[in-house]
Amino acid sequence: MAERETKTIVLGQKNAADLDDELPTEPMQINMGPSHPAMHGTVRMVLTLDGERVRGADIELGYMHRCFEKEAEHATYTQVFPYTDRLNYVSPMLNNVVWAMAVEKLLGVTKQIPERAEYLRVIVGEISRITDHLTCLGASAMELGAFTPFLWMIKAREWLWGMQEEISGARLTHSYVRIGGVVADMPTGWAERLEATLKKCETALVDADALLTKNRIFRDRMENVGTLSAAEALADGWTGPCLRSTGIDYDVRKDQPYSIYDRLEFDVPVGTRGDNFDRYLVRFYEMQQSLKILRQCLAQIPPGPILIEDARFVLPPKREVYNTIEGMIHHFKVIMDGIRVPPGEVYSCIEGGNGELGFYIVADGTGRPYRAHCRAPCFAILQSIPRQIHGALISDIVPTFGMANYIAGECER
Amino acid sequence: MAETVTIFIDDKPLTVAKGANVLDSALGAGIEISYFCYHPGLSVAACCRQCLVEVAGNPKLQPSCQLTATEGLKIVSSSPRVLTAREQMLEFTLVNHPVDCPICDKAGECQLQQMYFDWDAKPSRTILNKVRKPKRVDLGPTIVLDQERCILCTRCIRVCDEVAGQHQLEMANRGDREVLTTAPGEVLDNPYSLNTVDVCPVGALTSKDFRFTMRAWELYATPSVCNGCATGCNIEIHHRERKIYRLVPRLNPEVNKHWMCDEGRTTYKDVHQDRLAAPLVDGLPSSWDKALAAATTRLTAALDTDRKAVGVVLSAGHSNEDNYLLARLARQFLGLDRIYLSGKPPVPERADKILRDADVNPNTAGAKALAGAAAGPSVLESDLAAGAVKALLVLGSDPLTAEAAAAAASLETLVVVAAHERGLATQAHVTLACADWAEVHGTITNRQGKVQRLRAAFPPPGQALPAWEVLVRLARKLGATFEYPTAKAVFTEMMGATPAFAGAEWGGETQTVQLRFAGSRG
Repeated sequence: MAERETKTIVLGQKNAADLDDELPTEPMQINMGPSHPAMHGTVRMVLTLDGERVRGADIELGYMHRCFEKEAEHATYTQVFPYTDRLNYVSPMLNNVVWAMAVEKLLGVTKQIPERAEYLRVIVGEISRITDHLTCLGASAMELGAFTPFLWMIKAREWLWGMQEEISGARLTHSYVRIGGVVADMPTGWAERLEATLKKCETALVDADALLTKNRIFRDRMENVGTLSAAEALADGWTGPCLRSTGIDYDVRKDQPYSIYDRLEFDVPVGTRGDNFDRYLVRFYEMQQSLKILRQCLAQIPPGPILIEDARFVLPPKREVYNTIEGMIHHFKVIMDGIRVPPGEVYSCIEGGNGELGFYIVADGTGRPYRAHCRAPCFAILQSIPRQIHGALISDIVPTFGMANYIAGECER
Repeated sequence: MAETVTIFIDDKPLTVAKGANVLDSALGAGIEISYFCYHPGLSVAACCRQCLVEVAGNPKLQPSCQLTATEGLKIVSSSPRVLTAREQMLEFTLVNHPVDCPICDKAGECQLQQMYFDWDAKPSRTILNKVRKPKRVDLGPTIVLDQERCILCTRCIRVCDEVAGQHQLEMANRGDREVLTTAPGEVLDNPYSLNTVDVCPVGALTSKDFRFTMRAWELYATPSVCNGCATGCNIEIHHRERKIYRLVPRLNPEVNKHWMCDEGRTTYKDVHQDRLAAPLVDGLPSSWDKALAAATTRLTAALDTDRKAVGVVLSAGHSNEDNYLLARLARQFLGLDRIYLSGKPPVPERADKILRDADVNPNTAGAKALAGAAAGPSVLESDLAAGAVKALLVLGSDPLTAEAAAAAASLETLVVVAAHERGLATQAHVTLACADWAEVHGTITNRQGKVQRLRAAFPPPGQALPAWEVLVRLARKLGATFEYPTAKAVFTEMMGATPAFAGAEWGGETQTVQLRFAGSRG
């Protein structure tokens, strides 16, 4: 932007010509965050303001950097699962699933994962996708003043997290997936309770939709704000709901089908304008599609084992560990040496809550990764924010940043 | 050049020396074959039957450890028949093995665990109770035997017979009642007894010293050289949180092969005893600035008074780098004539023709090469007694006779660079705390004249510094232009300046690695 022409005003001197002019202003630098209620997680934006207008934004992240990638080099492949829980902490199951998939690809056992385990992974993954979107939309609505839909959505999220807790034992940091399958089967009656929960969630979504989608204030704040073209979004490496809001139909579940997604029927909602409202709609319709996927999974899920039967990866039953030397050695080796992964490099990705979530792993033949990298979808999305809010009002930052769904744990790794 | 032959293992041609051990050749070529009783440093027993392979033209499976390479020998090591044999041998071995991993010292570095996991990994089919045997058999001063864990490989018997040359262990009884025991009228008390613990593929033989002190996989390993005597056995320091838990031998075919002596293994204890953690001035802890200033003032005064009565003492217990710097300081910058070389007195009764040497100083050869015409400990003692020397700058805390120590009390200036508070360090005016051998990078020269590398396992305690660094700081205070950023810089200069070190190598930097992941990195 060209610098505004500045004039000198001598205070106390009347100048008839000056009185008609707009008072000149100087660009002001101001911090937004890191401790700001709308700067989710912790991120700092150094804004350059011209009055209410944003002339520049410098995003500084790293306040929640936890060394995930370096830590992973010092943990066995199994011990990395709890770390992945803490990446995108509103959809931890998806992180679990993709880590397991990457390691399984290295081990060459992708095809041998039991069907039931694949279904369970998709079920918990899709529940996570709904909780991810509920958090994103609910929080953004609240930041625009709509507190009621926030409460309704968070309530629905809590029901779903209750289901996750029942199956994994933990409300948020599940560590539920294992290399070769999942750790536990559904508890008795879980499928029925999930169906009941999905019904309740559906009602909650209808209610939230009624309060938001046709809400004049909400639409005024969202429509034509934070717009980015499809070409720019692609150039910046956007994926997921944000990319689809610009009109590009790319969903890893459809374009590189993994697990059992090729057996499921669902649509991929795509936007047209690439503004905040489109991102809201895409996420909203995705939740409805996830509900559809969940119902199909519950109908299709076959009985059977939930873990691969390979002594190299899977812990033996406790009865054998305590009573036989074979079980004891087996347990000891898997825990202490870790699962030994043959040397190689692998990239594996899934459709996460924010887009293409992937892990790149270099294995050196031992029980721990030589190098692990996380492809965090919101890292690519965050870099476009300065352009999206350039020239917009300060108040537009909040919905734009909200719709980017920046999750510090995932982005900063 | 020895005659070579071509053998075929799984149709893969392999050129080896004629008569070479087939198992050894296969392992060397990266072909994995399981084994228990074979050990590259011992004779072949072929009693565990774990390394069976198919030999072309032979109807029965043969133990590969007992095969020698002949032209055109064809071996199959990965056929279903061989793999089944391996699996079944392991199943047999485990029938009576106790469920001891959680309390077993060997867990984590156990060959049985490894072999089972690699080659069997199947549940047991037996429903019989395990045969019980005595679990705490005292074999001698250093070793306790758990007979239940023993898999009867006889490696320990061969170590005693072939390394120590003493027949102290034997097998008794037969079948599932067979046990390892001491030979009639013997106890396991040879000076190389702890090698039996290293070669034991399971946790049957345990060291009384290491038993139940630390889980093996939690330890970190740093390669180094034993400082127990002039032999300089190559070792690994196994440590954790700045504490050494054990020393184990490291293969060096030219020095110690696979072995080391029991006495050498206990030298780690001394590293943690009587340590100086801060410099002392008149017996009181001080800062480096004050201590170096005090040492400089005293030494300068002594030099100004009578340069002929000032001496330095090199040490056969310190690295080449430390001795080189002190000798250089004395000769080139201070112009001193009185250069002495101290060390621990020899112990003739410990010498044997195997590894143990009468000289219990690790670096006598190196220190002598650097000291040139320096006078030995006896001259130092007589000079002290005669009062011919008024001021001393001493490296190390080597012991002196009572008379000499008493005479040293009347020295006008005594500055000592030492790791331990003993010897002259207890009566010095200024004591400069330095690192011990396990805490420094440096080289020592063994009795064969081989320059071998010490590596720092962890930092020295408190404010102590490596001795070469202490000497650099002191020399600068005394006006010498010493520019050595690292011990390697000292070594490089020393190598160029001293003919005895021509061709010596510093060696690569080796990362300390946790035993749990040993062999994976670094």
